[in-house]
Amino acid sequence: MVYSFPEEVLEYVFAFLSSDKDRNAVSLVCKSWYEIERWCRRRVFIGNCYAVSPQIMIRRFPEVRAVKIKGKPHFADFNLVPERWGAYVYPWISAMARSYPWLEEIKLKRMVVTDESLELISKSFKNFKVLSLSSCEGFTTDGLSSIAANCRNLRELDLRESEVEDLSGHWLSHFPDNFTSLVSLNMSCLGSEVSFSALERLISRCPNLKTLRLNRAVPVEKLASLLRRAPQLVEFGTGACSTEIRTDIFSNLVEAFSGCKHLESLSGFWDVVPAYLPAMYCVCSRITKLNLSYATVQSPDLVELISQCSNLKCLWVLDYIEDAGLKALSSYCKDLQELRVFPSDPYSAEPNVSLTEQGLVTVSAGCPKLQSVLYFCRQMSNAALIAIARNRPNLLRFRLCIIEPQAPDYLTLEPLDTGFGAIVEHCKELRRLSLSGLLTDRVFEYIGTHAKKLEMLSLAFAGDSDLGLHHVLSGCESLRKLEIRDCPFGDRALLANAAKLETMRSLWMSSCSVSYGACKLLGQKMPNLNVEVIDERGPPDSRPESISVEKLYVYRTVAGPRADKPDFVWTMDEDGALRFS
Amino acid sequence: MKKKRCFEETFEEINNVQVPRTLPLLDHIDLCEEEDGVVGWPPINSWRKKICHHHHHHNSRRGCTNPTNYVTVKNGCGGGSRSNSMYVKVKMEGVGIARKVDLSRHHSYQTLIDTLMAMFVNEKVQGYKLAYQDKEGDWLLAGDMPWGTFINSVQRLKLLRNGN
Repeated sequence: MVYSFPEEVLEYVFAFLSSDKDRNAVSLVCKSWYEIERWCRRRVFIGNCYAVSPQIMIRRFPEVRAVKIKGKPHFADFNLVPERWGAYVYPWISAMARSYPWLEEIKLKRMVVTDESLELISKSFKNFKVLSLSSCEGFTTDGLSSIAANCRNLRELDLRESEVEDLSGHWLSHFPDNFTSLVSLNMSCLGSEVSFSALERLISRCPNLKTLRLNRAVPVEKLASLLRRAPQLVEFGTGACSTEIRTDIFSNLVEAFSGCKHLESLSGFWDVVPAYLPAMYCVCSRITKLNLSYATVQSPDLVELISQCSNLKCLWVLDYIEDAGLKALSSYCKDLQELRVFPSDPYSAEPNVSLTEQGLVTVSAGCPKLQSVLYFCRQMSNAALIAIARNRPNLLRFRLCIIEPQAPDYLTLEPLDTGFGAIVEHCKELRRLSLSGLLTDRVFEYIGTHAKKLEMLSLAFAGDSDLGLHHVLSGCESLRKLEIRDCPFGDRALLANAAKLETMRSLWMSSCSVSYGACKLLGQKMPNLNVEVIDERGPPDSRPESISVEKLYVYRTVAGPRADKPDFVWTMDEDGALRFS
Repeated sequence: MKKKRCFEETFEEINNVQVPRTLPLLDHIDLCEEEDGVVGWPPINSWRKKICHHHHHHNSRRGCTNPTNYVTVKNGCGGGSRSNSMYVKVKMEGVGIARKVDLSRHHSYQTLIDTLMAMFVNEKVQGYKLAYQDKEGDWLLAGDMPWGTFINSVQRLKLLRNGN
């Protein structure tokens, strides 16, 4: 075209576009823009590894430098996805090894990663810099040895919450003596002890190290020595802090922390003896993120620490903090944006701490920037939820887990429909919501009516009928991920809203009332969806069609039915064709 | 004898093809989960479960004053304000959520069964047997002994699919 810019200019302009949405929009303008854009896209995010194949990705984007891939559905975190379900990364690594020699970054979440994959990564990408394995499994410390030994330019190694078969701590010693590029190391999920002297030497020779998250095996008396070698650290995670308190350990720790002028984030604190916490007071005023969710420490000690963190933006803590501690939080930490309160004793029948709905109400009132909440508690009321909604219309993420399934409003014994209704009505920007407690179809009517920006919804033991599901699928315009367990939702709502499923990333339904017949029908109607039935009772064909399937996972895809299914997963209508008339 | 017939009348049997199957609920029990707890509930991941288990051991070492109740809610615990209420947990095979039923409100197997039927009304599949765990920890089929004896012995209830 006569009037268009030369390719080089367009490419230069596109380089400023980092968001996938923007790049996707650009590529739809015209064929030449599509071509130019695809050659200069450097970062690809794949939200569902089965939605597209490595070959399709490589064909469209030949010059990628960074890939992020997610595998198993979120409910895999809670053991709802059986083992051997899938999400193997090897095919991706093998394809990229051939086509992306300049690949620098691989970030994976909930995928199965083998030592073979890690070895292939370490040998295929000469400029490899970032490996992040979040909630992954399938590899051992031998795989880590390959990475350490071969990735000469490695900057980040993050293993957060992965299940690693820990053969020994020796892997760390495989970093060569001339390896100095490390910026971030998160080994908090590993069990065994690494050679402490190897760790010290590694830290000493990596001047750009900003993040160091140790594992439990590093005892508190060794921390000072590490901190002294890395005073430039921005993020630090301790190991276990359970050694009996001694004056020399304590004073060393105080001195070491006071040398760290750039610390912003702290984590770890396994089994921490409360007497160690004051060693951190000198850095508290700069701390913006604090993860105390493994610290089994009582409220007064927590409050002492938190009250010094006036710049705190993000707090993860156990319910030992109690309502009293949350009250203190709300008065000292006015910049708080994110709060997660985890249960210390989730399986006991009776509460072990004095944490109620009141704590959350207080924080919602006192912290004007609060936008992200994850809260486990044992009682809730509509009044509290309404108060929270009115206090914080700026909420973006609200996940509430009342521990007893189907617990009603403890004051009125009514369902919590109106409370959650208030949340979606007032919090107009809400993107993520998890419900719990006693809920009827009514709450879904509210959600379908008001939650227009909602992208992810998690449901358990909620609703009365298909109408509930129908409200959600027909009303929530921005919905991308819906995960449901143990709700009486079935065929009608699913089939009536089949087209909606193509606009979403995925739908998970387990222990609901969706029949095998409906699954088959859905698979036939919607060729762009993989409708996967997960059933460990044997082939669904061996039971009447009206029987509910155990689990259903539906997702849009351009890659067709997957070829790596285990023997308890069936793709509906896989052989395409004229099943019936 | 009469009671046994009531069972058969109430729980219709269907001709199910017997397929070997694993009980998915028992597949992934982690350290912290009770045998009859709901799989994956509360929704905490395995990392948090590990510390909760770890912490129980620590508590006993440190003599922490928080008593933790690892065991299922048993006969006589929990539930209502009535002083002689007798809540026991009821688990239906294949259903994630366990319920609680107050046995003190019942005087016969029939009313108990009616209540259980109403509780699990969303389940399409019929054909269950009622079993109970006695004080010795043994699982037995309910209905053989007089109601009064049953009440004194029962610790928890389970609805088992036919064929088990």
